Amino acid sequence: MTQESWKVALEEQVPEERAREIDTFAGQMELRRQNKLDEKVFAETRLRWGIYGQRYDNGQRFDGTKTQTLKYPAGDLTKGPGTFWDAPGMLRIKIPFGGVTPSQMEVLAEVADEYSDGILHVTTRQDFQLHFVHIEDMPDLMWRLAAVGITSQEACGNTVRNITACPLAGVCHDESFDVTPYARAMAYFLLGHDDTQDFGRKFKTAFSGCAQHACGLTNIHDFGLLAKTRTVDGETQRGFAVYVGGGLGTIPQPAKLLSDFVTEDEILPIGQAMARVFARLGEKKNRNRARMKFLVEQLGIDEFRRLVYEERALLTPDPRWTDYLEDVPKFKETPVRKPFSLNGQAHPDGFDAWYKTNIYEQRQDDYVVVYVNLPLGDLTSTQMFSFADIARKYAGDLVRTTVEQNMVLRWVSEADLPALYTELKAVGLAEPNINTIVDITSCPGTDTCKLGIASSRGLAGELRDQLTKKMPTLPDAVKELKIKISGCFNSCGQHHVADIGFFGNSRRSGNYLVPHFQVVLGGKWKDNAGSYGLACGAVPSKRVPEVLETITNRFANERIDSETFQDWISRLGKKEVRAILEPFMKVPTHDEDPSYYSDWGDTREYSLGDIGIGECAGEVVSLFSMEIAKAESNHFDGLVILDEGNYVKADDYAYRAMLSGARALVRTRYITVGDDANKIVDEFRRLFYDTKQFFDPFAGGKFAHYLFDRHENPPTQVDFDAARRLLEESQLFIEACYSCEARVNGSIVS
Amino acid sequence: MKPFRTQIKFYLENPDSVDVAHFGAVFQRWIQQTLLKELIIDVADYRHVFEGPGVILIGHASDYAIESREGRLGLTYTRKRQLEPNLQTQLRTSFELALAAAEMLEAEESFSPRLKFRTDEIEIRFPDRLNLPNKPETFDLVKDDLAAVLAEVYGGVLNFAPSAPDPRHLFSVAVHHESAAGVSDLLRQLQGSAQPG
Repeated sequence: MTQESWKVALEEQVPEERAREIDTFAGQMELRRQNKLDEKVFAETRLRWGIYGQRYDNGQRFDGTKTQTLKYPAGDLTKGPGTFWDAPGMLRIKIPFGGVTPSQMEVLAEVADEYSDGILHVTTRQDFQLHFVHIEDMPDLMWRLAAVGITSQEACGNTVRNITACPLAGVCHDESFDVTPYARAMAYFLLGHDDTQDFGRKFKTAFSGCAQHACGLTNIHDFGLLAKTRTVDGETQRGFAVYVGGGLGTIPQPAKLLSDFVTEDEILPIGQAMARVFARLGEKKNRNRARMKFLVEQLGIDEFRRLVYEERALLTPDPRWTDYLEDVPKFKETPVRKPFSLNGQAHPDGFDAWYKTNIYEQRQDDYVVVYVNLPLGDLTSTQMFSFADIARKYAGDLVRTTVEQNMVLRWVSEADLPALYTELKAVGLAEPNINTIVDITSCPGTDTCKLGIASSRGLAGELRDQLTKKMPTLPDAVKELKIKISGCFNSCGQHHVADIGFFGNSRRSGNYLVPHFQVVLGGKWKDNAGSYGLACGAVPSKRVPEVLETITNRFANERIDSETFQDWISRLGKKEVRAILEPFMKVPTHDEDPSYYSDWGDTREYSLGDIGIGECAGEVVSLFSMEIAKAESNHFDGLVILDEGNYVKADDYAYRAMLSGARALVRTRYITVGDDANKIVDEFRRLFYDTKQFFDPFAGGKFAHYLFDRHENPPTQVDFDAARRLLEESQLFIEACYSCEARVNGSIVS
Repeated sequence: MKPFRTQIKFYLENPDSVDVAHFGAVFQRWIQQTLLKELIIDVADYRHVFEGPGVILIGHASDYAIESREGRLGLTYTRKRQLEPNLQTQLRTSFELALAAAEMLEAEESFSPRLKFRTDEIEIRFPDRLNLPNKPETFDLVKDDLAAVLAEVYGGVLNFAPSAPDPRHLFSVAVHHESAAGVSDLLRQLQGSAQPG
């Protein structure tokens, strides 16, 4: 039998332009293989195709006792700086507004079977991800996806990322109108557009049908569009409130209002104009300040707005801006089943609990949305095939992914629910507890991410197991809380907008590193991620379940009437919150309890140094430990003062916290540095910044600039946002001091 | 003809007594002690997924998964890169590495009770829908090579037949043998009968 290629098999099913692009990528791969294409250029190229590196692709892996060299067969050939060619990587597959059909689901299942580890992972941007994929399999994967209208193009890199939208769009009770056709039009208009190819960083866009729910999360986006209507001369006019410059990342920033109402025919050109302004004026050299939020902050929203509208006026008209609008009034989803109510049918075992949490009654009578709960966002290829069958039978093409890493079937006739539940249950897809404390969001963390510091998925899995068992006895107020977990400070798990968030970090204990999670409390998921939680203290990873139980018990017992978790945290105050956490912060020595020194779901010793067991100096409190405690204290006091409304003083404490952190490091080399701020900053710069010893392996010198910027440019005015931001920065600076000290002064291999 | 990937699954006896979580520690130790003579990269934990890949030892050319697809716990070996010149050699390598891993797992004293793999029934899958789609005629493409390798492993003629009815699923073959020896004996037999492919 002659082996044909997927390209030959599918070429006629793929649009010419897409086919050409895949060929171009395959050509670039070959050039890189022959070392005729620079590795940095190839890295950005593959990122724009959604192809990310994965942990250990630099050929190093800590095995729990020592760092092993992974000798990939292709030798020195790389697919980017420090990224070996043969190392397995990740492919992110864009699913605009999360809309996916059964035919597409089947192809996704096929490629997971053949190129990955059989797992499909739903992300917080409604994408799918495949892990452990070889670079050489990517062109075949692209052909197969393209043949069913899916692309991974611009899923990563400095591009317009997947455009997200509410999974209830079109069936929600509260929306102004269905945003689906607008999200689709925006996604394909900006994909590959000439004006979106020269960004310094990514550009995230989201659509929401209403202001009060979180489904669209417009507040955390570079470009958020919130559906609205208005009446003009007796006619109802559709449009969007447009928000810009929001984002999570290391320092979260709420979006600002660009316009209260942009008419529907103007959203694409406004998006294009904004892309041009971002490309022209956005930071390009310093990646850490290159997101749109920094440009909006630097220019001010009024100037940013002026520039966008000025740019808009200069654009050459493009028929695509409005062509799609002709079809919008006709846009209608067609259910495959007639609407009938449940009408007293017998309920299978487990049905009632599932119905209570996983069903959303559409505004269309007798139709419901069914949520499918995916643990940690994962499902197998086998489940995906079965799910495609079930979807085809009960919902047709009307399936979507969600930003909470689940999936939904829309337009399900309520009468079908018992049969549907039985079929989902048979393939393990009928877990209840959607939108509850059990339904935890997590980024990949140390499982596969190169930036991961702690095991977010390991922790999420553990909490999910424990909470599932406790669920029947939890108070309702606790059941409704949201938990979100990131493996590092970069917020991919969206920990800032959960009631209870965690992000991974580490602390040194003697010659060992101990995985920790920073506890972030009081974020708001509702109102499109209406406000951000604050970091309250780091606890050892292994104590997080106890911390969670303590906090939720206190909340259940102490809340007044229908007080929200955010209000309770606010009423409690930072001092009391800190007091709750403090008993859990102590780390026993390795001899006392070695379990603290490995992470959830990973039996390896967490970053054990070459010195090994027996030379542990965990009982000795170092000078650094004493000094850094002052920084922690300054930061904490700043949080308390912020609550009291004294923003100037809070800013000062944040600055002092960073100075104390810098001093703690400097004193490990220059013990008599003294207290003069200029001297501390100068010595910190000389000893730790100029030598790059303070540099994070991935963020570089970013955190040092938080100190330098504040030291060199003290603010003339401080408002809540500014003080809060500096406190966030100071907290990250302190974390970086811990990491630096562990790297430089501790004999730790990590 | 060489397929893109091949998979061989040996089922575990008494699966209810097996602590799947423990495989994470075992596989990590295999990496620490470089017990496998090939490039191994990581351990992936998917125990949270229904009838999923469980715990996988991820390598460059091989994956070793303790998985429970269709509710049946076993060791699935995947040959991932096309390093062999033809199907027969690829199958032989796959069997050798799968049996060697099964033997090592059976020797693991940290499992209580000790693990035991069944050899009277195995499944062979071909993750290659381009060249080996799940159609009746595909069987003709693989049966001679499969028969030859199975004869080397089991020392005789075996019954085997396509086993996945859903055409979307991978082309699979179920192998049955009523009085098969243990994995160590099969491995020795295969190694003793090794011949160029």
